[in-house]
Amino acid sequence: MRSLLLKFGATVLTLSTTVASAMYVTAHLKNPSAPLQPTVLASQSGTAGVTVTPAVRQTDVQPVTSTYAS
Amino acid sequence: MRHSTAIEAHHFEAMGTSCSLFAVGLSRTRLLQGEFWVRVLGARVTRFSDRSELAQLNRSEGKWVDVSAEMELLLREALRAHELSIGLVNVAVLPSMIAIGYTRSLAEGPSKVTIESARPAPVLPEVLTVGHRRARLAPGCGLDLGGLAKGWMADRLALQLGSNVLANLGGDLRACGEGPAGDGWPVGFGGSTVMLRDQGAATSSVRRRRWGDLHHLIDPRTGLPSDSGLEEVSAVAATACDAEIVAKTALLLGPGLATAYCAAHAQAWWFSP
Repeated sequence: MRSLLLKFGATVLTLSTTVASAMYVTAHLKNPSAPLQPTVLASQSGTAGVTVTPAVRQTDVQPVTSTYAS
Repeated sequence: MRHSTAIEAHHFEAMGTSCSLFAVGLSRTRLLQGEFWVRVLGARVTRFSDRSELAQLNRSEGKWVDVSAEMELLLREALRAHELSIGLVNVAVLPSMIAIGYTRSLAEGPSKVTIESARPAPVLPEVLTVGHRRARLAPGCGLDLGGLAKGWMADRLALQLGSNVLANLGGDLRACGEGPAGDGWPVGFGGSTVMLRDQGAATSSVRRRRWGDLHHLIDPRTGLPSDSGLEEVSAVAATACDAEIVAKTALLLGPGLATAYCAAHAQAWWFSP
């Protein structure tokens, strides 16, 4: 009798966990409009063929110096 | 953005290239001290002087050699660059440099070319071991710290000079602080201007330091000058040294893979085929 109760309890626990999981997943669908991560994927072509990520800002200010090949 | 404040600037020639220091709120004397630091350390890490620390390591024939704290850090950086670049930034290309005639400063001109003796570079961690204030290089190997040293030195110099400084050592530059107007340091980059704030930038190119059909940028996979389809790459990264590593790696990878590599490692980039 006791082993039967244990089997019944385990079955109920398994079924209820499965149902709860299915309900949770259904209620938390992936948001397709969520921002891409890492942010580098949002890089875009800037002026003069330069590709910039959000970490870098292009400007019209006169540069004080440049990176160049030496 | 606040009104632009006065910039103290200092320009000089060192390590075979043009260098510039810019600072807000620093004296000219402090920038002159920066130039002195570049000259002293540059003389220790060059391969063109028999008396340099690097030349001593290159001559060591597999023996342990005592090195300065700066050289130890620079050699560790070279190992990190090798890892970050999947082996493409490999300072053990000196034998190839010599084979293509780049045996001395280009101001003195190239020497005899023995291109047939060029070989793929060894895997750096297999030939270079760095310990506390000492290093060992396998027999027959040689190191050329080249652009990596410039980037590393620009990073250290900017950090030690002050909180609002830009150090440009031959195009490898590090910008620290909020710049003259509070919105970063304006830097020329691939034909446009970008604002850098606690960031570095560098350019790798096969258009300079070339003679005849040869140039100095060795592909360690072949031991020969790079022929990847890209002639020049500029990159912005967290530091000048990282930017140097990214730019050189992208150039060696060529147009097919450079974009993906830069997207993973750079904050801005520019290619020229």
